[in-house]
Amino acid sequence: MTSPFTTLLASLIRHRGVTGCMVVGEADGMIVDSSLQIGVNGDAFAALTASMYRKARRAAAAAGFGATGFFELDAEGGRMCAAGRNDLVIVVVAEPRVNVGLLRVEMLKALESFG
Amino acid sequence: MKLSVAEHWVEAPLKQFVDEARVELAVLLNPSGQVLGQFGFASSVDVMTACALAAATTASSAELGRQVDGRPFSGLHYAGKVRQIFLGRVPMATGSLILFTVFNDESSLGLVHLFFAELCASVAGIVPPEPPATPALAEDFERELNRNLAVMFGRA
Repeated sequence: MTSPFTTLLASLIRHRGVTGCMVVGEADGMIVDSSLQIGVNGDAFAALTASMYRKARRAAAAAGFGATGFFELDAEGGRMCAAGRNDLVIVVVAEPRVNVGLLRVEMLKALESFG
Repeated sequence: MKLSVAEHWVEAPLKQFVDEARVELAVLLNPSGQVLGQFGFASSVDVMTACALAAATTASSAELGRQVDGRPFSGLHYAGKVRQIFLGRVPMATGSLILFTVFNDESSLGLVHLFFAELCASVAGIVPPEPPATPALAEDFERELNRNLAVMFGRA
């Protein structure tokens, strides 16, 4: 089954070190479409990441920094990147070795398809 | 906001759910509408009303699920403009309970689902002293309901 996000997700999951990518509703934290490797708990990741992204956006707005463009979490065993527009968030789960710069460009480019 | 329980074994799972999911209101009840624990309600009348409506809605949606899908619906979500409602069945070794919760944009449906699943997992293994799923006898129902409300709102 394909969705309007299938091509976008396919291009992100191809990056070396990416273990999962999802399009998630920002307000409800539910997965719209995803491409995940075995072992990634997509539902939990989507809910928690959307919540963090929403709060980061509110924090940035409260600090007068304007809109949040790109959000990255760097942990011991991996990375999580998120970028959103129009109530949708692209979430990428990756290994520490992933090329974040390239991933960031790809995610911001993908956001343009969200209108 | 204060969490209060009529049965001590529901306290830890309910507290964890409320703390993690950041909900405004939560009530755990058995299918006959008797309250076992609540968070966020100010009066016993509100709890009683919420329990009666939650039990009735669960019974109706379960039957609707059987008609439509051959098995009862296990969860129900309603999104209002400001607040949202989630109603879910909590399976137990000796029957089931119902969780009724209200949340706003501090939380999300995804978070409520996530921590509801954790609540189900932590309650699943518990065998309460008296099985809560057993419907109360008609002559005992009001007495039991009033006893639970009195315990939670300090009138025992």
